[in-house]
Amino acid sequence: MQTTLESQKKRLAKLQPLIALFVLCLIIGLLSDKFFTVSNFWNVLRQISVNICLSVGMTLVVLMAGIDLSVGSVLALCGAITAGLFKMGIEVPSQNLYVGFTLLGASVAGVLTGALLGFFNGFVITRFKVPSFVATLAMLTVARGLTMLWTKGFPISGLGEQFAYMGTGWFLGVPVPVWISATVVGLAVFLSDKTKLGRYIYAIGGNENASLLSGININKVKVIVYTIAGALAAVGGLMVTSRLDSAQPNAGTGYELDSIAAVVIGGTSLSGGKGSIWGTVLGAIIIGVLNNGLVLLNVSPFWQQVVKGFVILLAVIIDKVNSKNG
Amino acid sequence: MPPLEKKNNKMLPWLKYGIGGAVVLLLAYNSVYFRKLDEVKAEASGKFDAASFAKNFLEKQLSPKLETAPDIDELTTMLSTDKNKAFDTYSHATAIGNIRYFLVKGQGKIVKINENDLTIQTPKQQLTLAMEFIYGNALRDASGEFDITKFTKTADINNVSSELNKLIRASVVFPFRPKAKEGDMVQFAGAVALNKEHLNLAEIEVIPASLK
Repeated sequence: MQTTLESQKKRLAKLQPLIALFVLCLIIGLLSDKFFTVSNFWNVLRQISVNICLSVGMTLVVLMAGIDLSVGSVLALCGAITAGLFKMGIEVPSQNLYVGFTLLGASVAGVLTGALLGFFNGFVITRFKVPSFVATLAMLTVARGLTMLWTKGFPISGLGEQFAYMGTGWFLGVPVPVWISATVVGLAVFLSDKTKLGRYIYAIGGNENASLLSGININKVKVIVYTIAGALAAVGGLMVTSRLDSAQPNAGTGYELDSIAAVVIGGTSLSGGKGSIWGTVLGAIIIGVLNNGLVLLNVSPFWQQVVKGFVILLAVIIDKVNSKNG
Repeated sequence: MPPLEKKNNKMLPWLKYGIGGAVVLLLAYNSVYFRKLDEVKAEASGKFDAASFAKNFLEKQLSPKLETAPDIDELTTMLSTDKNKAFDTYSHATAIGNIRYFLVKGQGKIVKINENDLTIQTPKQQLTLAMEFIYGNALRDASGEFDITKFTKTADINNVSSELNKLIRASVVFPFRPKAKEGDMVQFAGAVALNKEHLNLAEIEVIPASLK
């Protein structure tokens, strides 16, 4: 009897984000007649696509009991590099040479930049034993500075329709960003649930020392995960740049907090080892729906921040209570 | 059988690297292209010149319309009594949405010089004149003279706004700002952005196009 009750409690705890989303939708739907419309549905999904990309990477990092505060700045830098290469290419005046980049080339360069920055994060964290909070906080500043240097503080605009398709286009009746984020989620779920690397990530987050003793190359796994997080931030950067038809030097400011919020609301424990990509997707949807609902209800943007903060706090408290109850 | 398995295992990495290398080469081939720099620069010089367009637009299309723009006090009176008529008669926009732009003119006393704007007291109301942040599409769209259908690139459309705002900042706002003193009378003409759905007449900000 006791066991049944406990297992029911555990099942209920797993369903908490889903219940929260359901209740949220119900409340907003009752208060605004525009919420349950098809256009708003796609609007919400389109808006959360960037956060989903960031949050998926963040989930993998948090599952290892780490944190990546640099994703917002990495997003901005990678978006700016992609836009800059696509629009202006590289000039080599001494050789009278112009190296132009196709959309594919510029996008690959952007994603590789993100991966490189993520790799650097992982390298610093593992090689010099710098806490992930500090290492990625430093990268946050470095990447923002590099973005300012690359853009000279001005937006890179006028990227054209081909570029805009990635952020504003539709494919088979679904917005392209939704396809991109769905692909990212699919790959991440496969990685976390079906691969050795996924199991290592959970193991490291659960007990790093035990993982080390069982022969897992912890440093290698950490570097890979931070590299993935950087690459996913870059994918988010491509989407933001494409959607705005402009690479803004201050793009992505505060996005790291939204992605951490999605991870936490989705039930991933900040102490690592527990959580899932699906939970994070739900967390991102909850934040997206919350943002959308507050806008539809004409709530001031300042209050929106307050509400969002309290929702995150509530999620963490619930997580703590659940952990305490076993 | 066992030796064969061994052989297969040894071949696998080569196959992996081979496929990987082919993908990288294919990716690189479709990623970059090379051209002569002088050719590219020559082509770029023939592109749409947003700065010239904006200058021409200001002189020949926007400025003449400023003279016939409604008085700001009359416009706000009309907006508060018959919002739909005021929007139908005087507002323009190139984009779909609730934000519409009005050309306005008026005069009033400078009652306060703020960091980013001036507070002006007209005979009927208090409003602000933007002095720092001259941005957005108000100046481009408010006259209704800007024909968006002549453009094929969104970037060109946006660049017109950007250049027009820069021009106003340099030629209208900068020369005026240092001379402005509290208590001075100012004659202004410019553009105002208003939200039709959530109309707020208490906080009107005029983006100036002419200041005397």
